[in-house]
Parts: sequence; C-alpha cells; structure tokens
Amino acid sequence: MPKLKAHMATHDLWLPPMQQLLFRDLLHAFSYPGQVRTCRAAEPMTWLALLAALLDGEVGLADPHGMVPAGQWPMLEAVPSTPERAAFIIADGARALDFEPRLGSLESPETGATLLLRVAFLGEAAGAEHLSLSGPGVRDRTGLAVTGLHPSWLKARAGWVAAFPLGVDLLLCDDCRFAALPRTTQVQRRGDKWDM
Amino acid sequence: MGYVAIKGGRAAIDGAAAAAEFLRARDESGEPLRLSAIEHQLRLLTSRVISEGGLYHPRLAALAIKQFQGDTLEAAFALRAYRSTKPRLMALPVQPSTSMRCIRRISSAFKDIPGGQMIGPSYDFALRLLRFDLANEDPAAFQAVARRFLGAAPPADLPDSFPKVLDALRGEGLLPPVAASQGEPFDITREPLVFPVSRSAALATMARAETGSLLAMAYSNMRGYGDVHPTVAELRVGYLPVLVPHPVTGEPMEAGEVLMTECEVVAMYESGNPDALPMFTLGYGACFGHNEVKAISMAILDRALQKGMRDGPENPSEDPEFVLLHVDGVDSMGFASHYKMPHYVTFQSDLDRLRTTQDKARAPRTEVGHESKL
Amino acid sequence: MNLNYEFPGEETGYAFGFLDEYAKKEVRRAILKAICIPGYQTPYASREMPMGRGFGTGGLQLTLALIGPDDTLKVIDQGADDSVNAVNLRQFILHTCPGVAATEKTEAATVIQSRHRIPEKPLTEAQVLVLQVPYPDPLVVVESSEARRKTMHAEGDYSRLLVKLYEDIVRFDEITISFRYPTRINGHYVIDPSPIPRWDVPKLDQSPALVLLGAGREKKIYAVPPYTPAEPLVFEDVPFRVEHFLDGQDRRRACVRCGATDSYLDEFSNDQDAKIFQCSDSAWCSERLSRQRREEVPA
Repeated sequence: MPKLKAHMATHDLWLPPMQQLLFRDLLHAFSYPGQVRTCRAAEPMTWLALLAALLDGEVGLADPHGMVPAGQWPMLEAVPSTPERAAFIIADGARALDFEPRLGSLESPETGATLLLRVAFLGEAAGAEHLSLSGPGVRDRTGLAVTGLHPSWLKARAGWVAAFPLGVDLLLCDDCRFAALPRTTQVQRRGDKWDM
Repeated sequence: MGYVAIKGGRAAIDGAAAAAEFLRARDESGEPLRLSAIEHQLRLLTSRVISEGGLYHPRLAALAIKQFQGDTLEAAFALRAYRSTKPRLMALPVQPSTSMRCIRRISSAFKDIPGGQMIGPSYDFALRLLRFDLANEDPAAFQAVARRFLGAAPPADLPDSFPKVLDALRGEGLLPPVAASQGEPFDITREPLVFPVSRSAALATMARAETGSLLAMAYSNMRGYGDVHPTVAELRVGYLPVLVPHPVTGEPMEAGEVLMTECEVVAMYESGNPDALPMFTLGYGACFGHNEVKAISMAILDRALQKGMRDGPENPSEDPEFVLLHVDGVDSMGFASHYKMPHYVTFQSDLDRLRTTQDKARAPRTEVGHESKL
Repeated sequence: MNLNYEFPGEETGYAFGFLDEYAKKEVRRAILKAICIPGYQTPYASREMPMGRGFGTGGLQLTLALIGPDDTLKVIDQGADDSVNAVNLRQFILHTCPGVAATEKTEAATVIQSRHRIPEKPLTEAQVLVLQVPYPDPLVVVESSEARRKTMHAEGDYSRLLVKLYEDIVRFDEITISFRYPTRINGHYVIDPSPIPRWDVPKLDQSPALVLLGAGREKKIYAVPPYTPAEPLVFEDVPFRVEHFLDGQDRRRACVRCGATDSYLDEFSNDQDAKIFQCSDSAWCSERLSRQRREEVPA
C-alpha cells in the first residue's frame, strides 16, 4: 500500500513531489526560451498542471475565457481576478486578444503578468508558424514552431515588452508540451521583416 | 612540501557542539533546569524571547533559553525558525485590547483614572539593592511565597476589563477620533518590506524587534534626536483573550489568552489640517509578553516614524528605513555572527588588489585620460 | 496554558525541503520572474531558517525550493566541499530532502550551492548554480537608502557608481574593488555578483548554466540567465583585470598540491612560516591530482 501511495504522490499534480518536478521543467523553460518541454503530469490541460505548481492563495488568477473547470478553483487556491490586475492569466491562444495585462512598473517590474496561452500544437507541423528567437537563454538563435496562436498575441507582445524592464512573460501550452517566452526574448516570424 | 588536509569540517562542527554542551552541563552536581522554573522564575527573560521570537509559546521559549544557555538572540532565533516550520491555520480578526484582563495598568497623564492606577507586579519603585537572601533560597520558604500572597489577596473586586484612558481624551476632542481600519494588516512574515511601508508594517516589525535595538533608537529620540516628548497615557500588561471564529457558526469563541504589554503615548500636539483644531498626536506600542521598556520604546518610535513618513525624517529615529531595517534581532545577530565565517577567498582578492595598488604607488605614474565605456 | 499540551517527542516530520509548500511556491515564483528580468533584485518574504542570517539562508531557500529526490547536490564554501559552512548546509539539505544524493565532483552535480566561488570546471545546461549573497545591491557603496537605490536601478542610473570607480582610479590608478565586482547583465541592471573574486566574474558571461543569487537577510532573489551578457563595469582604458597570482619574478604561481597555474589560489603560511598557494577549488585540485597519479602508473 505505501508503494502505491508513493507512486500516486509523484504523479498527482496537486501534491508537492509532482509540483517540484513541474517547477524544474518551468525553470528550464524560462532559462532556455523556445526549448519545448513535455509536461510530465498526465493532464491534458497542461496549463492547469503548471498553474497548480505555481499558484496559491497569495496570487491572483484571471480566466477571461472560462477555461478553468469550476471544481479546480478551490484546488488552485488563487484569488479570482481580472486580466488587467492579475499576476497570472490563462487564455485561449486561438482567440483574439481582448485585454491589456499588467506590465509592471519601473520600480517593481516583477509585477508584470505571467500569461499562459493554450495553443493547438508546439513543434513541427503542417501549417505551423515558425518563430525565430534570440536573447537571454538562447545561444545565438533558435526556432519555435507553433500552431493555433492568433496573431494578435505576438503583435501585442511586441508592444508590451518594448520598454524593458516592463513586460509580460509568456508560457505557450498545447495538450502535453510547453515553451516559455520571457519578456527579454526577441521573437521574429520567419518570412517577416519586422521584429517582435 | 606540506599541504593542508581538506577534510575535517564535519569533525570540527561535532567537536564544537560537544564543547558547548559540556559547558551547559558543567555543574556536575547540579540539577538540569526545569522548563517551568525558567518560565516562572525567569519570566521576564521568557517574555523577551517570546516577543522577539514572534511566537507565543512560553514553554517553548523556556526550552530555547535552556538550550542556548541564556543567549536571548539565539533563543529568539530558534523560536522563529520553529515557527517557520508550522503551517498557518488561519488569520484571526483584529482583537480589541480593551478586553484585556489586566494585571497592571497605569497612566502618567493623570493622577487618577477610571478604574484606578493599578501598579501590579513592578520593580519601578523597588530599590536596586541586591537581596543576598536569594543566594541560598530555602525551597520550603520559596514554595510558601505564592501560598502566602494568594492567601492574603482580598476577594476579587476588580472589573474584568478597564476603559482606555485615550477614549476620555478623544471624548473631549483632544485626540483625533479612531480612523476606520483600512484594509488588511500587513503580514511581515509573508511579504518583504518595500519602502515606503504602511504604519501596519512598521508596527508589526517593531513588535518582534530586538529590545535593545528599539531602546537605543527610542532613547536617541528622547534625548533630542527628535521631538516626540511623550507622556504615557496608558500602559497595560495583561492577558488578552484570543477569539477564534467557530468553524460552523462563525461566532467568536475564546481559544485562550496571551500575555501582552500595550503602551499608548500622547505627544506634542500639531494642527494637521489648517481648518481643524490642533490635537495631540498618538504613538502606539504593543508586544507579546511582559516587556514594558520595549512597548514604551515602540510607542515613541511609532510616533517618530509617523512624523518621518509624513514630513521626511530629520533624525535617524524618524527614518523608517533606518529604524525598521536595523531592529530585527535575528537579522542583525545573524549578520554580525557571519563575520566569523571563512572569508579567505575574498581576503585573497583584497590582498591582490592592495599589493597591485602598492606596486603602482611605488612605480612612477603617468597621466592618462579615462572615459567610461558605458 | 493548555494543560493537555505535549511537546513532540523528537523532530517530527518537516515537509520535504523544510520549507512549507507556500514558502516554496513564493520562492519559485520569484525565481521565474528573476529569470525574466535578468539582474533585477526580486523581493520575496525570506523565511527564517535554522542557521543564522548571513550563513547562506538565501541560497539555502533557493536550493530547497528547487531540489528534488532525483537531484545530486554539491555545496561549497570558499571553493571547498569540506569547509564548515558547506558541511553544515549540506547536512541540513540532505537531512530534510531524503533521496537527494551528494557529490564533491562538480560535473556530477545538478544543483550546486556555493559561497564566494564559482567552480573552475565549466558548467552545463543540466546544472543550476546557486550563489549565497550578503549584499545584493552594488549601489550600497554609494547610497545607503534602499528606496533611493531602487529608483536608481529603475532608471538605470549608475552614474554615482561609475564616479566611485573613477575616483578609485584617480587615487590608486586601479579600480580597488576586489570581490563583489559590479557587473552589468544583459546591458541593463548592474548586479553585485556576490563576494566571488574577480577571477570568477567572467564565468557569468554566456554561461550555459543558469545562475541564481539569493540574499536571505536582504530578502532578494536575482538571476543571470544562461547565454546572457554579463559585463564587469570598466573604463575604456582601464580594462577588467582578474587576480594575477604572480610572484616577485612575474611568474604565475602554481598550486603546491596539483601544480595548476590556471585556478584561483588560496594563500596561507605553513608551520615553517613559508608561504603556500593551493587551489581554492578542492574538487578541481583533487581531480587534477588523481589524473596525474593515474598517468604516473605505468600502463
């Protein structure tokens, strides 16, 4: 019986052992932007596993597209909030952007929001958009292929991160992978001349 | 060609612990200290450690005092570290200090006050002459002291609680009315101090500050590095009931009581608003345990900091950063102690710099212009 | 007092990693923001640990928030695994994190916590370096008020720091800062890289590994992300210089134990009052020595 419990503990995304592992994957994702990590929690809502690992009652979460199942709010413990005020936002990347997140302030840039976007697929696929990334964590340049990200997000991001240290930090999630785009990452769309 | 062995750190640490423990148990014919003896016979020491540890647990404070051989900084630190491991169950609503079951309650502002001046247990009027009869105290005589005191005490005719002296001053319009509470109290165990801080954050920081640090800062203000000129409107020591909402009905239930000291000082009046009448200003101090000097110091500093936060500091005791960042005993003691740790890599770097600089000073100099690359 | 209260009989279960989960989550959130804002001192509510402030509680909280049973831990102080502070911290982490393995070999570690040194052996993407920080703010030498320093950082106003460096040059013909050399990260925030010697500062630049810096008493976390420019502040004609370890005849000193002339050396006097120089990085030195001994044995 103890063995089964231990097994469950390491796989239960609401328990500390899994949350520590998820956090290490997030650490790697933000340290090496564009590198795609596979979510080790058996949870098709990858973004939910990541939120479970990071959130508690001290932070606000905005869910403008109603993605968080009702029963999971108490588990997350986060304070329900609006996209303009929340520290964390979960949104459907397929839909157009329709809010303005917190960018932080010069004196407290860490208050800029962390935005999790659900996309259809991360990785090579027919019809994928190819992004070229550079900046901290990237050795020269690296590529990231994304499917199902509405163009309004990256367009808006360009404005949000234009005045460092202000900015928003992104986490793109499909149903089993995720990749991070911190505010310091420069994003170019292949084929486009303009910088994001 | 000798080289320094690079093993042995573990053994050194164990040896240091054994030596310290030996000194603790040095009195070979002695009795190990009982925690209740520390808690009662050294009650003011215990109160200090409870207050600086920021955890109300008299028995654990006594244990910490015993373990760390009377070092208040270490004992308070141990209590804080223990607190760090405990999960938070709930945040209680603000408790009114008017419900305090006082053992001592005085006012310097008035000769007499409603409910009376209750001196209670105090050394204020005692002569500081050593009592040599305490040197070889007879256990039977010791045990008789409490029996005699309680036996001679008249039947209780004291009220359960006392009105606040300040309320009388407010009633006359000499003090501003109590402002409605704005928002949640600042939780210094959850959020770092980012200046400018609220009064709530300042008070919470001072409530568990190291007594000597607070006293020195307050004393500087009293002596002239500041102009609080306080009068103690009320000092009370007693047991505050802790009310916890019933898990089902939500009704406040008394879960226990904590010994606390509270001091309210009235300071020079000012005319804040040009249209309004001038009024007295208030300084507030409160902490766990029976710690009068700490509460008075805290009240004076509260007033000084309020002035400093509003008008800009003119003296160190009015400067929130200067006061609040330097009065925490755990932080200050830790950092002072850390200088005892190995620093030879950094010192080596210093040696390199100094030798290079000396070499240059000995060599002839040439003038060069310098322009920053940045 | 509750008459039914009983003390725990012994050290009862602490959470894995000593800190409760809320404390860990707060540190983790601060870490991620610190990576996204390279060099910025992210405030966090630093918890009290059982060792004193100033003894590495900031670095320790970072390690405890990161570490898991599949990690291998190395802890060093002044470059040595066996230094008392390192031993103490390592014992505490192993005691509160069952399953974590310990190593002295730099290359075998996944998490390295260090006071005052960066290992000589280059780190990889599979590793995280945690540095213990007493003073997180390089501006503390020119401004004692934290609020004013925050504004200076926010505005990228390091002019007073540059003036101090300039004054050093005018007086001593050298920048006199030896360790804690102010270093600009990603062209923006200037950090105090912790009391590592100048010798170690170049290792921060374009590092394959993430470097996290934790100040427990000052309650700040900051980061140098991998592959990020980390430039020590210099003037055009006064280049950044590392410690030279040259003897009186301009020869680079060697480690008396392994002969290395490419590592940071500790200097001390032996019982005969002679000066000895020895590698500060004990693992580096031991590895060199064992390699030499293997090579000495005939095939």
